[in-house]
Amino acid sequence: MESPAPRALAPGTVALPIDEVLRIANEYERGSRLADAQRLLNHILGGAPHQGDALHLAGVVAFRLGDIDTALDLMVRSLRHGIDTPLYLRNICEVYRALGRLDEALATAQRAIALAPADPLCLHNQAVIHYHRLELQAALDCAGRALRIDPSLPGAHFIRAEALLLRGEWAEGWQEYEWRFRIPGAAPLMPPTAKPQWDGRPLIDGTLLLIADQGFGDVIQFARYIPWVAERCSHVAIAANAEVASLLRQIAPGARQFLRWQDAPDYAAFCPLSGLPRLAGTRIDNVPAPVPYLRADPARVARWADRLERLVPRGFHRIGLIWAGRPTHNNDRNRSALLADFRPLGNVAGIALLALQKGPKTEQAGAWYGRAPMINIGAEIADYDDTMAILDNLDLLVSVDTSVAHLAGAMGHPVWIMLPRAPDWRWLLDRSNTPWYPSARLFRQPNARRWDDVVQAIGEELNASLHQDAIGTRCDRKISAHARHE
Amino acid sequence: MSARIPALCPCGSGLRAVRCCTLQRGSLPPPEAIRHLVPIVERAMQAHRQGADETAERLCLDVLELAPDRPGALSILYEIRKAQGKHQAAEALIRRIVAFDPNNLAATNELALILLGKGSLAEAEHHARNAIRVAPENPRAHNLMGMILTEANRPQVGEYHYRRVLELTDQRDPVLLANLAWNLKNQGRMQEARTLYQESVAAAPKIRQTLLGFARLEEADRNFDGAATILDKVSALFPKDQGVQLTRAVLLGRMRRYDEALAMIDGAAGDNGQLGPNELLEKGRLLDQIGRYDDAWAAFAEGKQLARKLSGQEYLDDSAQQQIERLRGFFIAGRLRLLPRARTRTDMPQPIFILGFPRSGTTLVEQTLSAHPNIAAGDELPLIHEISAILPRMLASPLGYPEALAELWMGDQREGLDNLRDYYLQKVRQMGVLRQSATRFTDKMPLNETHLGLIALLFPEAPLIHVLRHPLDIMVSAFSNQFTHGFFCAYDLETAARHYVRVMDLVQHYRAEMTLRYLPIRYEDIVADQKASVHSMLAFIGEPFDKACLTFHNNRRYARTASYAQVTEPLYDRSVYRYRHYRTELEPLLPILRPVIERLGYAVD
Repeated sequence: MESPAPRALAPGTVALPIDEVLRIANEYERGSRLADAQRLLNHILGGAPHQGDALHLAGVVAFRLGDIDTALDLMVRSLRHGIDTPLYLRNICEVYRALGRLDEALATAQRAIALAPADPLCLHNQAVIHYHRLELQAALDCAGRALRIDPSLPGAHFIRAEALLLRGEWAEGWQEYEWRFRIPGAAPLMPPTAKPQWDGRPLIDGTLLLIADQGFGDVIQFARYIPWVAERCSHVAIAANAEVASLLRQIAPGARQFLRWQDAPDYAAFCPLSGLPRLAGTRIDNVPAPVPYLRADPARVARWADRLERLVPRGFHRIGLIWAGRPTHNNDRNRSALLADFRPLGNVAGIALLALQKGPKTEQAGAWYGRAPMINIGAEIADYDDTMAILDNLDLLVSVDTSVAHLAGAMGHPVWIMLPRAPDWRWLLDRSNTPWYPSARLFRQPNARRWDDVVQAIGEELNASLHQDAIGTRCDRKISAHARHE
Repeated sequence: MSARIPALCPCGSGLRAVRCCTLQRGSLPPPEAIRHLVPIVERAMQAHRQGADETAERLCLDVLELAPDRPGALSILYEIRKAQGKHQAAEALIRRIVAFDPNNLAATNELALILLGKGSLAEAEHHARNAIRVAPENPRAHNLMGMILTEANRPQVGEYHYRRVLELTDQRDPVLLANLAWNLKNQGRMQEARTLYQESVAAAPKIRQTLLGFARLEEADRNFDGAATILDKVSALFPKDQGVQLTRAVLLGRMRRYDEALAMIDGAAGDNGQLGPNELLEKGRLLDQIGRYDDAWAAFAEGKQLARKLSGQEYLDDSAQQQIERLRGFFIAGRLRLLPRARTRTDMPQPIFILGFPRSGTTLVEQTLSAHPNIAAGDELPLIHEISAILPRMLASPLGYPEALAELWMGDQREGLDNLRDYYLQKVRQMGVLRQSATRFTDKMPLNETHLGLIALLFPEAPLIHVLRHPLDIMVSAFSNQFTHGFFCAYDLETAARHYVRVMDLVQHYRAEMTLRYLPIRYEDIVADQKASVHSMLAFIGEPFDKACLTFHNNRRYARTASYAQVTEPLYDRSVYRYRHYRTELEPLLPILRPVIERLGYAVD
């Protein structure tokens, strides 16, 4: 049979068996030709609206195109039409998780396990749901059962790592954390190499290659270990993105930095920055926090001081705001908020909000109509050096869990960090402070996906702090009384 | 036979189109070829002088068929068409005379006057300026400039030209005095205006326009009894006059004698029983005051429809869309990072921009702020719009606005924004806005938010106060008042809503792409908690609180715009959520407005 050209598949022109069309659609989906896959699936479903496999695959495609509600609808319909395989259930489970419907996600995960009790993927899947429900023991149990079936299942190790680290059991957690690079689809740390990963012992002769891996927040957080590394290795080179180059230069002025792998120097061993806490034997009670370990450039601080002096009315407390992280982060739906969620802060008297937001979510700044003025300073920020200089001119930063929150912490600036119900492991559980950043205060979500309680708590704290003058103001206090509607 | 009927020009001149509005200059015969026509023109003139218009008309048409540029024939035909009330034809003819002979002073003055009558102020000003260039000592030309600039809300410049007329004629013509008085009234110089009106009336006691203007002055200055006395006099002279009765109705409305006011308006209907657009809108507003909402709406709708019909104007949809798309395309963060900003002058008062859709409360905010000792009132300054028009020339750019701002990347235009900033400030000074001791002044030109990007380049530190109001309330108010801002959107409810949404979306775009010193302030908040709103506005501007701002209705400054009667009263809340009386009528607007209503945090109930 000829390989069918998509054009030949217009309705009524060629009669291909559904299975064949479905196979092609599957190939398209795997090759990320999502629009093509969708077109074929619509064609199938036009003639056979109850075709379970087509419904399900259409759901997967819709999910990948970002239309989660449609995805769920299609997948639920596929279930109704007799498709009850563990794979499909796992997919639906992921859709429920993405939608924050964790009860349904858990029920679906359990149904998948009932169908395939020996499938470690189903168990891993359920462990992830438990983690997001903050049922850490259950998550560890499920991951443990999965690992008894398949001891080298990277995902199960990684979810164990996250649960253990979040519980503060770091020694075991760091070990499991090493599985992160083996997860299918994870971005490789570096091009294949025969060189060993550094074991933490002094390296006198050769160069140690550090890799500023993961997000920029991780880089800022783990860069604190570079001086510890420098005590053990006489030559350090760092592979880092341009965005963080100047930050790393502050911490490691002697280290050679490069952007492209072809510029890498010859090296004896390598290590990701995110691997350093393990090598340093970090426990909650010995986290190195030599703040400030990042500082703004005085000339830039002066320039921004002048700019802000002209933009922000005198006497207003300057509160920085970041409501969203990088949208491609795999937990972005949980960690990012909407600017609209911050509406109650608009009623706090005597403050000016400075939006430090960058990236595509900046456009929300245009729709702020709160009583407290908001100045979209993000539009003029070019790099982290600008951000640091601005932070130096603020009274407080309120931010979701994203890189600038780390930056403020590393500078020793007051920062209030808003955490999702199931936070990233580094923020631990139940505490409002963090050993990583003494100047940070944590505000945790009592209910998953709902920022209203968090914003309300922040609003109350802000009012109280302003009242007690606990938050400084960069301006003349005498005038600030005016701004408070007294 | 019918095939031989020549295609007459649609303007109604009686000439063939190819000899009239589609005339090609290249097709004109050389002067020596038409010498033989001179006697015919002379005969036409004679006939016209003797009142034999039919003969004069036939002769002119004959001449112009052969020589379409004969000024004498054009002038006579113009006079005839004007007398016949064929305005389109008359305008086409006078335009042609001016085009063929730009030095023809009489025709230029005449054209400027026609354009002023039509409300085409920018074009009228263009020709009036030409007239003064041609004849710098011609009183009529200066008088026209005075009238046009008074209408165009540049009364200070208008005053200069009126005073030139006084010097040049060395006479105190009563009509001129009345015009100057009206000008001064628009500057809020009530006592000077009153003195001039008194002088004018003493010299010529029976001129309708003078007496009406005088009555309006007294009404605006809250001397209701004085206004009534003058109106009694003018009614006796012109008993059936619509304008007189409308002025009386407005006065009665301000005195809260609504029933009498309504009766007055209904009595003002002409012989055909028809009210004019202004009368209908005033009637609707009075009906609204007494709670007869259905009748009020019907009057608004009829008034708007009639205004549209009489003016021939409607929303310039494509132009509006095009301009907004171009602004949105140009003002983006990546480009703005590369553009310079004007430096802030420290040697003179600086602007506060009060932004908002017409009828959203900008007058109230200006009156409130300008009660402050440090803040002078600038009113609706047409300057930002003007700068957007002259910007390409000032930056020597082959592009239009806003793309011409790309010239700022050229080495010789790096200070271009400073020049534009100075143009604005110099005009402000010339307009007499600046007040001794005030360190700031307001500019409350409605819809200046369309040019938020340009404003922030010229005045990067200026406070931008955007007055928000429930969009449906704005629509009710826009439907019950006449204004031409915003590409004539207010001739119809739906186009007003569409333009409003376009502008609000554009503002959102600017705010997302630019760092602005921007404060939204809600009309409803001012009404509900005036003190808090005044505090936040002044704190945002950077001025200490002053309690004079709370009693802004004692601010003797006269606000020239349609809101003037409202801002001379203490704050009232009957205008808050008044859309609820017109819920059904506004239903068709909901699909257009709902996204903005929600974004602003308002509800519809």
